[in-house]
Amino acid sequence: MDAQITGPKVYFYLFGNESMPITETMRNYWIVMAFILLLCVFLTHRMQKVPKGRQALAEKAVQMIDDLVDSTMGEGFRSFSPYIMTLLMSSLLGSLATLFWMRPVTADLNTTLGWALITFALITINKIKYHGVGGYLKGFLEPIFVMAPLNVLSEVATPISMSFRHFGNMAGGLVISTLLLGALQALSHAVLGFLPVPLLQIGIPGILSLYFDCFTAAMQAFIFSMLTMSYVGAAKD
Amino acid sequence: MLEGITQEFVTIGWWPIVVTLCNTLITFLIIKKFLFKPVRKMMAAREEEVQNMYAVAEKAQTEAENLRSEYTERLSKAKEEATEIVGSATRRATVRSEEILKESSQQAAAMMKKAETTIEMERKKAMNELKDEIAGLSVMIASKVVERDVNEADHERFIEEFIDKVG
Repeated sequence: MDAQITGPKVYFYLFGNESMPITETMRNYWIVMAFILLLCVFLTHRMQKVPKGRQALAEKAVQMIDDLVDSTMGEGFRSFSPYIMTLLMSSLLGSLATLFWMRPVTADLNTTLGWALITFALITINKIKYHGVGGYLKGFLEPIFVMAPLNVLSEVATPISMSFRHFGNMAGGLVISTLLLGALQALSHAVLGFLPVPLLQIGIPGILSLYFDCFTAAMQAFIFSMLTMSYVGAAKD
Repeated sequence: MLEGITQEFVTIGWWPIVVTLCNTLITFLIIKKFLFKPVRKMMAAREEEVQNMYAVAEKAQTEAENLRSEYTERLSKAKEEATEIVGSATRRATVRSEEILKESSQQAAAMMKKAETTIEMERKKAMNELKDEIAGLSVMIASKVVERDVNEADHERFIEEFIDKVG
């Protein structure tokens, strides 16, 4: 067998326009969104003054994000909490989708690049908000004007590095999992060819999946959110 | 459904990025509306309730404090009044007893005086009676002794003069 590593499937083209495909990534993101919606509604359904069970969970989550935002970005950035929560949940659940036989949402560069562009926009907007347009442009000449190209480069590199880090981790996991699955199938075909099922595929990919899917998913979601918070928070100074 | 069509492993396109942005925005709105808004609202309501409770408790405490001080004041006032009442009663009793004593001594003095006057009057009366008797007796004795026709009235006058000189 040859292990095929491809991009997301294209289901159809919107309005028959070839530049507007509806891909597997988009479908999976919508499923994740539906799940997030259900989760939110479930957690905050029939709230009471005295928190209990799932309501306590919802309040704990909100408080944790608020604390994280406070400690990373400083006071006065509470309005960013819902967006950080969005990033965390989308990234985590989008990556963990692979546990439910779906292609991870984050294993598509367009997804992570989209998020990184939002972060980039937030950084720029905050810099202009706190320093003015002149202050923002002048920031590129620090510490001396010769540094201007490097400063521009580092500014542009921020979203690119963020998006490729996240994408690379998830896609790498996907590639390794696929390769391993193919290799195990080939191995079991060669060694235990008399069996009707590729027996060696059982178990071993699961252990690797613990790292490549679960651990990396949580790690990258956290890293992406933390980087967003610290970059946007630092834009104030 | 387009069978078997897949994208390249690494692609960048404006369309999927726009879709990602829209999806993220919708997710953001979902989380804001269905998670943060109700939780924040509930937390604010709880905080308000706690603050209200604190305010009520504080008010009650202040009231209790006020009542306590009022009662203490009243109690001390009552004690003062009681002391005053007892003091005035004692004073009045003292005055009264002094009055009684004075009155009784006055009465006694008046009685004494009256008794003395009575005694004096009795004495004078007795003296006068005695004088009359003696005068009568003297005249009788004299007339007996002299046996002469003496003017009784003259004699009586002489004798009374004599007794007056003696007595």
